[in-house]
Amino acid sequence: MSGGVDSSVAAALIAERGDQAVGATIKTFCYGTTPGTSKSCCGLEGIADARAVAQRLGISHHVFDLEEEFTRDVIDDFVAEYARGRTPNPCVLCNSHTKFRDLLRRARMLGCDRIATGHYARVVRENGTSRLCRAVDRTKDQTYFLWGLDPEALERLELPVGELSKPEVRGRARALGLVTAEKPESFDICFVPDGDYAGFLATRLEDGHAAFQPGPMITTDGAAVGEHDGYCRFTIGQRKGLPGGFEEPMYVVRIEPEDRTVVIGPADALDSRRVTVAGTNWLSGPPEEGREVGVQIRHRGSEVPGRIEELSADRVTVRLYDPHRAVTPGQSAAVYDGDVLLGGGRIR
Amino acid sequence: MMSSAVPGPVYLDYSATTPLRPEVREAMRPYLEDRFGNPSSIHGHGRDARSAVEDSRRQLISIFGAENARLVFTGSGSEADNLAVLGFARAHPDGCVVRSSIEHKAVVAATKALAAGGYDVREAPVDARGVLDLDALAARLPTDPRPTLVSVMWANNETGVVQPIEGIAALCAERGAVIHSDAVQAFGKLPLAPRKLGVSLVAVSAHKLAGPKGVGALLIDGEVELEPLVYGGGQESGLRSGTHDVAGIVGLVAAARIAAEEQEREARRLAGLRDRLESTLVSAVPDLVVNGGDAPERLPNVLNVSLPGVDIEGLLTSLDLEGIRVSSGSACTTGSVEPSHVMRAMGREGDLARNTIRMSLGWGTNESDIEYVLERFPKIVERVRAFA
Repeated sequence: MSGGVDSSVAAALIAERGDQAVGATIKTFCYGTTPGTSKSCCGLEGIADARAVAQRLGISHHVFDLEEEFTRDVIDDFVAEYARGRTPNPCVLCNSHTKFRDLLRRARMLGCDRIATGHYARVVRENGTSRLCRAVDRTKDQTYFLWGLDPEALERLELPVGELSKPEVRGRARALGLVTAEKPESFDICFVPDGDYAGFLATRLEDGHAAFQPGPMITTDGAAVGEHDGYCRFTIGQRKGLPGGFEEPMYVVRIEPEDRTVVIGPADALDSRRVTVAGTNWLSGPPEEGREVGVQIRHRGSEVPGRIEELSADRVTVRLYDPHRAVTPGQSAAVYDGDVLLGGGRIR
Repeated sequence: MMSSAVPGPVYLDYSATTPLRPEVREAMRPYLEDRFGNPSSIHGHGRDARSAVEDSRRQLISIFGAENARLVFTGSGSEADNLAVLGFARAHPDGCVVRSSIEHKAVVAATKALAAGGYDVREAPVDARGVLDLDALAARLPTDPRPTLVSVMWANNETGVVQPIEGIAALCAERGAVIHSDAVQAFGKLPLAPRKLGVSLVAVSAHKLAGPKGVGALLIDGEVELEPLVYGGGQESGLRSGTHDVAGIVGLVAAARIAAEEQEREARRLAGLRDRLESTLVSAVPDLVVNGGDAPERLPNVLNVSLPGVDIEGLLTSLDLEGIRVSSGSACTTGSVEPSHVMRAMGREGDLARNTIRMSLGWGTNESDIEYVLERFPKIVERVRAFA
């Protein structure tokens, strides 16, 4: 229970069912030292709201301190990826490790058999297998963030709000008089609530790290454009902060951390017909080569069709039917078969 | 999360607070109802309340065996500790306070505040058993004749280890120091004889001995100068202004009287239950370490253990969910557990310092409670260790 409306209603739906439910909030970050974090979903205010909701529902509430695990698995990776000139997706790692694996371990420690969260996704159980499917409310679907889920966690997972639309969720919360009913959604990365990634990285990387050093900015044709003030300030597909004076709009198309080069080019230079991902995770076994799948490469992005071209133990390459824009190294690619999330990995 | 256990709560946290005894509630009741007067009023209602407060004071002084001593009613044990420590320091600006390394936070924080203001504050260590080291204390007493307060708790709130008050008192008498003892945990559990030993200041609290929350007292025996912390209408001979909590004071003394009457028998009963809990857990739970078990004397109702290789947060939550109400070291606002200063002072490190559980028994604890815990505790530890 993050203290948001979705997990509040998830808890209510479980409690209503009559199962013995235990509310839990995971503490992932030391909120005391970062000003302004109280607004984020998992901050102290979130804990207090989750506690109030649990009390209202008549279930107990506990705080699990997963700060050590979160720092190791999510924050350290976030920093290391930016330092390598890639654009990480910490929410995916948090879902792969902290929110499910570590939470489930704690739950089982307490003698609980299953966990439920407020994610917009559905677990469909048929013939002894569990599949993770897109939420009924497609505009809120969060399966993209869940490709790293451990298959064992999926077996023990319930996602009750995946069957509801967001307005229905808010309606339930209102009807139950939950304090979180009107709480706005959070979009920021919880440990960088002000959105200043570079500022956050500066506190975590050693002084004078290459990611903050000036470096050359060139076009895809190799023409020098000028100097930039640190490649960690750029991400693939970014337009903001690039020099003007070109015939067509220019975008960041590549970051080369070895010589701190940021390469820019026109929109079509961003197009890619192939997505290769590494560190793959499959929720119920890998798909076969040649299978037609859908690939989604950003949270609010659309799913594009393609075919599995090459598959190995920890990698998959999908050939897309049509070129796709800004396939960004470090970001996640989720692979679907219809509504079913098959798995995914990190873009190479 | 969902679990299938249906708990029947067993409360083993009497060192945190206790349920009110029905006799105490009955003693208090008239002062919450018809006899509501303000003891400072001069009319009949006031006189009635005043006599209840003064009777209570006399009785409590008598329970301490300190006829003609002074006694100040306060709002808590912490306030009584603060009055002793800060009150002494304010009355003796050039003095010195020496405290043990395992004092309750009321004394630790009060002396920290004094030290921050430049006051001479010294800390005397304990040994691995949690017992104050008398030689180390002697070495920390000022060599010049400046006014000195030695603050050592009668029994520690985490381990229950009883401190060598007699030895400390003898040392202080020799060196002309005043002793303050936080007896919040010891009061009612041990026969206390502060006057006989030469302990001048003793702090107690009602809710640790089946009385109500929100009332404490400081016994002041002999010529000890203190400055008040709370100014106002001059109640409690000017040492603690504020309208008396008459019902609370009556409740404190009723609880103290019952505890004194039953002390010997109850101590034997609780020690029997505690020893059974301890010996069974020691044999049933691998690697369990009893903290303070090797000290010469422990409170009869406290068992403090360290559990290497467990996730302490998970263990505490599991125990709670299965209806076993115990406590650990101090918890922060978000619920994460930090090692206690007491365990650190005893030289415990890592898991032994952080993974501590205190079980404390009291008047409502019976055989079946101990059975309940013994049946579940080892299994819970095993499960928590399996998922660590």
